[in-house]
Amino acid sequence: MPDTGNKEKPKQKSWGVGWLIAVLLLLPLLSAGHKVGVLHYALTDALPDDEYTVSVSMTLDGHGERAKVRTFLPVEDSRQKVMTLTPASSAAFRFSESNERDNRVGNWIGTEVSDGTKLGYTAVVRLLGQQFELGPDIEVPKEHAKGLAKYLAPEEAVQSDNADIIALMKQVKGDEGGARERIQRMFDMVQKLKFRPFSGTTDALTALRLGEASCNGKSRLLVALMRASGIPARLVGGVVLENGKKRTSHQWVEAFAGGHWVPFDATNHHFAELPANYLVLYRGDETLFRHTSDTNFDYGFEIVRRQVPAERTLTTFPAFNVWALFSRLGLPFSLLQTVLMLPLGALVVVLFRNVIGVPTFGTFLPALLAAAAGETGLVWGILAVTIVMLGVVAARAALSRFGLLMSPTLAILLACVVFMMMGTAMAAERLGLPELTRIAYFPIAVMAIASERFYLIVSEGSTTKAFKHLAGTMLVVAACHLVMNSIAMQVLVSGFPEFLLWAIAANVYLGRWVGVRVVEFMRFKAVAAGAGGSHVAAL
Amino acid sequence: MWLLSDLVEAFRNRSRYGSLVGMNNRNVSLVRGYNRREDYLFADDKILCKSLLEAGGVSVPPTIATGEGLRDIPRLLGLLRGRSNFVVKPASGSGGDGIVVVGEADEGGWQTAKGSFLGEEAMGRHLAEIVFGAFSNDLEDRILIEERIVPHALFAEFFAGGVSDIRIILLEEVPLMGMVRIPTLASGGRANLHQGGIGVAMDLATGTTFRAVSRGESVLRHPEKGGALIGRQLPHWEQTLEVARLAAASVPLGYVGVDIVVDAVRGPLVLELNARPGLEIQNINGRGLGAALAAVGKEVA
Repeated sequence: MPDTGNKEKPKQKSWGVGWLIAVLLLLPLLSAGHKVGVLHYALTDALPDDEYTVSVSMTLDGHGERAKVRTFLPVEDSRQKVMTLTPASSAAFRFSESNERDNRVGNWIGTEVSDGTKLGYTAVVRLLGQQFELGPDIEVPKEHAKGLAKYLAPEEAVQSDNADIIALMKQVKGDEGGARERIQRMFDMVQKLKFRPFSGTTDALTALRLGEASCNGKSRLLVALMRASGIPARLVGGVVLENGKKRTSHQWVEAFAGGHWVPFDATNHHFAELPANYLVLYRGDETLFRHTSDTNFDYGFEIVRRQVPAERTLTTFPAFNVWALFSRLGLPFSLLQTVLMLPLGALVVVLFRNVIGVPTFGTFLPALLAAAAGETGLVWGILAVTIVMLGVVAARAALSRFGLLMSPTLAILLACVVFMMMGTAMAAERLGLPELTRIAYFPIAVMAIASERFYLIVSEGSTTKAFKHLAGTMLVVAACHLVMNSIAMQVLVSGFPEFLLWAIAANVYLGRWVGVRVVEFMRFKAVAAGAGGSHVAAL
Repeated sequence: MWLLSDLVEAFRNRSRYGSLVGMNNRNVSLVRGYNRREDYLFADDKILCKSLLEAGGVSVPPTIATGEGLRDIPRLLGLLRGRSNFVVKPASGSGGDGIVVVGEADEGGWQTAKGSFLGEEAMGRHLAEIVFGAFSNDLEDRILIEERIVPHALFAEFFAGGVSDIRIILLEEVPLMGMVRIPTLASGGRANLHQGGIGVAMDLATGTTFRAVSRGESVLRHPEKGGALIGRQLPHWEQTLEVARLAAASVPLGYVGVDIVVDAVRGPLVLELNARPGLEIQNINGRGLGAALAAVGKEVA
């Protein structure tokens, strides 16, 4: 006779749930209030910085002869921090670095350079946006320091001594009033020129005569006007950093006013300011790429943006600073973001399961899959999981005739999952699908658990049910991905992780919520129809 | 998109679902509210459950043998050699997985109820799989061998190729709702509703059937056999209800589903208990458990 324990039937009462929720809601408010009010946190300080990996690639047909290539390397200054710079080139080239005036130059010299030789460099940079307050009382001095003379003198493509340029400068009153007024009038004038993406170089006078120009024509005209007006000015060249590949470089202008070089971009309408994705490569009227003449030359930029904790966050948050902790431990920031977002992901899963009634593989798995899909991107992640699951079905079909026991079968399955991930990565590389090759980065543990769950349902004899669960899981993965990758959520949670208690509060509430799930309205239509009539248990 | 429009339509009519007990409500108010998690075992483990039922004076199918571990298998095979009409079950299986119903003994083995030959080696292998937990979500399990039930004539008339059972859900020993589960050829002789079995609702007071549902559709007759399912008086009804009450009283579970078969000779026998009985019974009865709860003076949520 086994021990039946307490024969008394338990009628479990739950109490204090309301209080628990109230406390969980209140605590983060108090903590956040303390941080903002007493410790002077600002939410904007929690905003992560962008770090760009910029790869400059060049291809050269050397015809087996001697060849020389030079281009500019990003300079380091107060708004531009170069974390690493790695030249990459074939053995045929020797790389050297030199400084020319304000610029940093990379030189590649090679002998017997074959056709299609690749060279270039990769730089990891962090940039700051810049904004200048140009006061109305900044005068344009009659005499400038000697060192500034070259920024006032005419150049071949910056014809500041040309009569037409001077006339235009006078026409827009570029020589009346303080520096700010003058620059504003000339800037407005150049800004109004029609933009046309010419591929070649346009000098200042041509831009003026055509009344239209690309960024370099507009910038040369603006520099010429400024110099004619007695304001030292120079061209700046670089790249506007955006995720992806591009061939276009960009040019803008700096004017010396009030003791500073102040940026102006008449093409993209930035007056006395520079956005945080403008990478400066050189100053002066330069050509970005120079190479041995008579060779076929091509170039391109590839830019990858990723988020890193801002340095001010590491230093300005004195209490419960998980960012600083991760930084000390040398763990990647992306991991912290993932870890902090997991509770929110799990809440999304609970909403889908308990309020809507979408079937999923467990509660954690969709959130974990969404986190893992952060490496591959959502669509490729879903595709990768689907491929592996189809493989699981195939493996089961192949194994079922042998009547193997469960645990060894699952162990074989794990091997299949590994083969499948590697095989997919290899096939993707062959097919030129770089995103899908990242399936190899997919955390094997997450994939393995998903496969096991899927297999267990399939082996219960219900492949349809397994695919329903798979489809439900993917839907919820997509929703989790959306929430977990939302910048607003990430900033809130990384700056104020205490708000995760709200997720707990929501789960406590949902844990006692007895409402009917949305899909149950459909499943139990017979109940709504009152099909059972009045057969009431009269006992 | 029909699915979505159906969903919207159903959601619009949600006020008419007043008496429906959904999964959340079942879990919070009934399962969590009346059953302790550590007590699920008394329903989930068929051998343990059976010993409690026997101690409570509940009629159950006679046990031939139980076994655990690989070492027990030769003994069990010896015991079964030449024996007819028994059922092999995993103690912690669910959904009928791993259950083998044996008919007549045959040379070197047995004929199963499904009409295939099962050699001794195959039987030994099946017993090993049970022991290895192939049919439970555990690493090991025990074997339960019972005498085969001969269904009462009415249930044999419903469907002869498998065993129909009666599921009665009780709260604190008060019956709330019941149904007969009838296998079909399509369900492979199993009485599980989600595998294609038919559910037939009965008036708890009289034991008369009033509604039958096959694959979500209301039917009057067995779709394969053609026998009438509605307006039938279930045999030994008073006794069936009494057995259900007694079974519920034998275990420390307040909310419980009792599965009963009516044997031609022995009358109602309790096959197994369920600590988390499903909600499909509401669709079979065409009304919500909430109404049944209110009728017996219980309120949930």
